[in-house]
Amino acid sequence: MRALIAAATGLVAALALVLTVTAVGVPSGGTSPKPLLTTVPEHP
Amino acid sequence: MRRKAGLVLLALAVFFAALAPLLRWYAYPRLVKVPPDRYETMVLEARPATLIDYGTMKAKKVPKVTVVQTLKGNVEASEEIEKGDDSDRDVVVWDALSYVQGPDGKMVSKVPERYAFDAHTQEPVHARGEMVDGDPVRREGIEFKWPFGTEKRDYAYFDAQARVTAPIHYQGTRTFRGLEVYYFEQTIPWTKVPLPRTLPVEGLTRESVARTGTTRWYTTVRKFWVEPVTGAPVYGEEIHKEELRGGTLLGDRDKVTAFSGHVKMREDYIRHTVDMVSSQRLLVLLMTSYLPWGFLGLAGLLLALALWLEARGRRPGRPAAATGAEARPQPADGRPPA
Repeated sequence: MRALIAAATGLVAALALVLTVTAVGVPSGGTSPKPLLTTVPEHP
Repeated sequence: MRRKAGLVLLALAVFFAALAPLLRWYAYPRLVKVPPDRYETMVLEARPATLIDYGTMKAKKVPKVTVVQTLKGNVEASEEIEKGDDSDRDVVVWDALSYVQGPDGKMVSKVPERYAFDAHTQEPVHARGEMVDGDPVRREGIEFKWPFGTEKRDYAYFDAQARVTAPIHYQGTRTFRGLEVYYFEQTIPWTKVPLPRTLPVEGLTRESVARTGTTRWYTTVRKFWVEPVTGAPVYGEEIHKEELRGGTLLGDRDKVTAFSGHVKMREDYIRHTVDMVSSQRLLVLLMTSYLPWGFLGLAGLLLALALWLEARGRRPGRPAAATGAEARPQPADGRPPA
């Protein structure tokens, strides 16, 4: 019984971690203030 | 105490065993995507090239023509599309500009684009504002980038000049600067295409040229070397030809070459792109391969350790596990009990 509870704890922890991380996601940031270039840049 | 340690190890084993597939099949498609705020520039050159002089309407050889390409993620536009979209997908909107410059540094043409697509699958998203050079378009297929996990097959690729989608063929796996890449090639046959809205001569517009009856034709062979894990091209070339045909603008000539050249990525941009794609490739591989397999291995190890601890705890001979016979009092003379 205690082994079952331990296994269930591990499973729930994994699910909680992945669901939290994916729900938070990646920050979208903002549109770059840099212009669309009409000159040749010297280097990347 | 040993029993408790065994249970903790078992919980950890299940945690990592569950984490492995969750990471690969649940987190990967949701977390690995093109960021909406990306800003990228690319410089390509044709050395030498043939270019039309719009003043004399004659083609001339020039030492170099430069193409500056900018891709800028428009975060506000992508959020607006996502708000009006029923599906849960993440959308990226790229405002792009292809700016062509002659050897004297003067503008030859500039063609803006707006391209919206699914951030993970690269599927086009059709929304208001999707355009090429101000003309509304409805893209099918991919443009600029391949999907994550690129496959060894042909893809539909959108050609912005002709505003058509045509197959781009997988033609084998190659090694480019130490990276394994898939080589793709697309040929667009001679096709009548619109003139750019912005032309280098004042007073010369798309409409004024159209009134003379002169038309613009184009053909290209497009080549891409694509890193398959990220779907990012690490190198590109284009054998590009444009002609003006017919009409009164050309006088007694049938056609004039407007541009002809073998356009290739500039060396410093190749190095920059290869470095960037190599680091991104590592991050994607962490999600799809290294971490899932590592977690599975770790889970197996932890499970084995948990079982070993459990087995030790149950081994006979331990004082706590003494049998009734062993515990029975022995006679003082050492004789076995009757």
